[in-house]
Amino acid sequence: MGVSSMAAGSDAMQLQLCVFDLRRGQQEGQELDKILFFYPSDCPFLTQLSLIGLCEGIITFTRIFSPEAACEVIEAEKHSHVFYEAEPDIWMVLVVEKSKDDEPVWRCEALQGVLKEVHSLFKMFYMSIYALLDKQPSGELARSHLHSFITDYLSDFQLGKKVQMPSFRDSLKERGTVQMLTVSREVALEVQSLITAISSCCNGCDSIILFQDLLVSTTLPPDDTTNLFSYATLRLTPHALSSSTSSSWSYLRKGNSTPNLSNLTLLNEHQSRSLDASSLGQNRQISSIPRLLQRDKWSKGKDGFLVPNFSGGESTPVVWNQQTEECKYLCVYQQKGITVVMLVPVSSLANGEQELVQVKKEFLENVAQRVTIVEQKLSRGWGGENAYHVSGYRYLLIDRDRSVSRATPTGKVTTLTKESLLYLNKLREEVDIEKWRWHRDNPDQEKELEVCIRAKNNAWVIAKVTRGKELYMVLEKANETLLYATDAVEKFSNRYCEGAFSMEY
Amino acid sequence: MDSNPDNPVQDQDPASESDEPSPADPNQNRTDTTEPDDPPPADSDINPTQTSESVEHNTVEPESSVPERLKSLTLQEPSSEDIRQKHVSNGSLPADFYASDEIEIVEEEEEEGGLASSSGGGGVVTWTNRSDGPPSPSSSGYAAEGGSSVASSGGVEEETEGNSDWGREKKHFHEDDGSDSWRKRKKHFFILSNSGKPIYSRYGDEHKLAGFSATLQAIISFVQNSGDSIKFVRAGKHLIIFLVKGPIYLVCISCTDEPIEALRGQLELLYGQMLLILTKSVNRCFEKNPKFDMAPLLGGTDAVFSSLIHSFSWNPATFLHAYTCLPLSYPTRQAASAILQDVAESGILFAILMCKHKVVSLVGAQKASLHPDDIFLLANFILSSESFRTSESFSPICLPRYNPMAFLYAYVHFLDLDTYLVLLTTSSDSFYHLKDCRVRVQNVLAKSNVLSEIQRSMLESGLRIEDLPSEPTRPPVERINTESISTQRTVGGSAGLCHFMYKSVYLNQFVSSDFSAPLKNPNQQKRLYRAYQKMYASMHDKGTGTHKTQFRRNQDYVLFCWITQDFELYATFDPLADKAQAIKVCNRVCQWVRDLENEIFLYAESTFSW
Repeated sequence: MGVSSMAAGSDAMQLQLCVFDLRRGQQEGQELDKILFFYPSDCPFLTQLSLIGLCEGIITFTRIFSPEAACEVIEAEKHSHVFYEAEPDIWMVLVVEKSKDDEPVWRCEALQGVLKEVHSLFKMFYMSIYALLDKQPSGELARSHLHSFITDYLSDFQLGKKVQMPSFRDSLKERGTVQMLTVSREVALEVQSLITAISSCCNGCDSIILFQDLLVSTTLPPDDTTNLFSYATLRLTPHALSSSTSSSWSYLRKGNSTPNLSNLTLLNEHQSRSLDASSLGQNRQISSIPRLLQRDKWSKGKDGFLVPNFSGGESTPVVWNQQTEECKYLCVYQQKGITVVMLVPVSSLANGEQELVQVKKEFLENVAQRVTIVEQKLSRGWGGENAYHVSGYRYLLIDRDRSVSRATPTGKVTTLTKESLLYLNKLREEVDIEKWRWHRDNPDQEKELEVCIRAKNNAWVIAKVTRGKELYMVLEKANETLLYATDAVEKFSNRYCEGAFSMEY
Repeated sequence: MDSNPDNPVQDQDPASESDEPSPADPNQNRTDTTEPDDPPPADSDINPTQTSESVEHNTVEPESSVPERLKSLTLQEPSSEDIRQKHVSNGSLPADFYASDEIEIVEEEEEEGGLASSSGGGGVVTWTNRSDGPPSPSSSGYAAEGGSSVASSGGVEEETEGNSDWGREKKHFHEDDGSDSWRKRKKHFFILSNSGKPIYSRYGDEHKLAGFSATLQAIISFVQNSGDSIKFVRAGKHLIIFLVKGPIYLVCISCTDEPIEALRGQLELLYGQMLLILTKSVNRCFEKNPKFDMAPLLGGTDAVFSSLIHSFSWNPATFLHAYTCLPLSYPTRQAASAILQDVAESGILFAILMCKHKVVSLVGAQKASLHPDDIFLLANFILSSESFRTSESFSPICLPRYNPMAFLYAYVHFLDLDTYLVLLTTSSDSFYHLKDCRVRVQNVLAKSNVLSEIQRSMLESGLRIEDLPSEPTRPPVERINTESISTQRTVGGSAGLCHFMYKSVYLNQFVSSDFSAPLKNPNQQKRLYRAYQKMYASMHDKGTGTHKTQFRRNQDYVLFCWITQDFELYATFDPLADKAQAIKVCNRVCQWVRDLENEIFLYAESTFSW
């Protein structure tokens, strides 16, 4: 594995992330061919091979007993290895080093969520790793794409020299979900007419609208919405554009310092430039890979549209809609707090990007005014970053069916003690395992679970799962009785969850 | 529960992993006497492990299966070769473990005494298979009855339910890692050496699993070589738990939905059971020869391990780390304790009177205390070894929590079908003395009707939730705050109470209610047991500490757990139970247990030892 040997040499060595293809490098001496991505890239090949050897061994071993479900985690005293089979036989493994006091600081599913997110985003721009490997069987195309993409993605987790993965402190957050803005009926009608106006700009045009870092509306199916929402909050929203200012109230992102991974990526860029790669789903020839996750590469143009300025090319990025299996141009219009992400089908524009100018023009003429009105109305009703704080409660509410979550604002979560967050992290891990079991045993049957723990530090740590909805809660200053805690949950459920978690008997 | 500061039960921290004997251990030095330089001659005809007063008859217990009967019949006339084989089977230990002067007195002729092997049923069978083929110490006479387990499509069930047949159920010997049925078994246990040699496997022939064992070793070593230590792997519903104990590796592969902590605890007990038979001195064999093949040392102890593994799915002692007592009237238990105390003063380290898995009375020498895990492992060893039932035995055993390095000597005698006396001593030549003590104890117990009281208690049911008093008999000392609950009175069961377990923290003892009507089915009981396991793991987190209360509701139950300095209460209710009512019933259960504590718990240890 060699993780610890590297850890000794460098402070920054807290994390390894690799992507490998089990179908490749079957011949002895060609094992390196398995590796599609390895972070850190300066890690010695022997160490890389050692880690992949262990992972491959464990994958093969666990299949003896569990042919239907793949290996998910290897837990060792000093490291956790979290697995995600991104595509058949293509594995992503994240290795995180534990802190010295051996606290259970991570949740396996939260770490898997990171791998899932980066892979989903990758697929949004490049269709799949498979597709890239098919296009160029030597693997260089896939390697160079993965390298720039994952490295850019990891820059968001960088704190100083270290890459900081989501820990117990993020127990009241849920990656891979969308955070919605609640709007009044009046505003909702305005938004609806705005959506209609956008779709009339161009045939088959989809859109998602965000206000600050919250979703206002979408015309996309849930998976595509989640991906685009993640990308928007990472790179497009007003907050993301000014990400050099460190304070963040985004639910999932930390404030970040300027990335210093870029020098690593230059290496690969050089390689990729030599490839005559074509982007996917279309015949657009490009000389190098547009690094769509690179930070600070979107800037606001005079007309309100965001201008991409990626080192791989300045053309409008294209995204792949999983649901409709369609390539679409990504056009982003921003006005103060509101961000409109338009997806224009590539196939609908006979002359490609040139025609896109026409679409934008039409937007500015017919839609921009409506955007201004909606923005004003949303701003007026906007309660600020603590809008969804509920006094006395620290909560996370997840609707799995819609991939939507709402939570106590980050600033308020930090008032909880470390212990309470650790308890919640542990409870969430238990609930995760229980949910996996349900899913495996009987995926169709609705299951319910309620857990209320009076913890050592007298906090109530609560989890409720019912009909695809989950509620996690920490009550630190609550009364000691279980009935009081139950009552508090009941009140919350009735007031904020339309009674979804209320007792029925 | 009243705290008793004078209680001599040393709180030997179950989590403590110290390899060294406790410094407080007065018998530490005796270790030396058990590790002689002068082993008995290899071809000695004397079984060093155990002596037997009575011949093992081929009388067959009513529940014995046909193969069991056949087995007994084949044993009637052991061949001379069988007798020779005896030295490497059935818990016989290598020379390192014995002093020549520790060879036990044989009361009967060797030909007969040899039949009563220390490892009972499983081991006895092995001899019949030895005459041909390689010495496969755990070869089973049941190899041919492979069809006894039915492989279901969703995975092969664990051992049969119920408590009666586990001991004689053989592992599925025809299987190996290539068999589909083997791969589908819900719970595997393996013990192997750090060179990858198989020592024990719950299912299949260890020898055929050599390759598999080497794979396990490779995984563990690979991670070790990087300066880390592998703890578990999860894949779907499968958990693979690793436990490294010096040169011994233990692995559990399970899809039983038990928590990691519980499975790790089971591996610890498996290791403890192995130490009970061999002591930790076995490590020395690996120091001398890393390729040392340990499997023969445990030959014939299959029944011990299968009964231990079976208890992981029914005996709460395995995760509560507490023992349970047979309910008896206070004077009756006092009478038993008095005579045990009487004999204990004559150089006996521990005198234990037990009925099945329940303690009747327990007396220790001054300042010596028994860890509940040791009691559990000792009882399992005795109850799963058929020979203890049929003969008066004197056997070296190690109590891993007391002193993992040294053997004690256990004199075991069954006073009736279920009740047995265990006298533990450090002296290897005390057989006759212990026998005399036993006769004294037996006489007193018979005269004072203790034995008949024990039998009566066995026949009667224990705590029935239907008997829960409707009103506390006196104000409770400590109560869960129930200010706002309704005052409606309910009787036990009607508030939805199905079952409870109560552990007295100071006494290291627990009591659990009988299974009532909704839980009569063994499968339901096993599911409840696993739910308790989960609750225990959730409440006792090593990293973050022990929680105070927990309420958990799913489709099957409402589970309630309440932990204080004095006690731990685990109660199960109907899934629709009302919280307020459930809390009220929990308070009443605690009060009820306190009212009955003189009968359901043993206080003798503190009363007599000081």
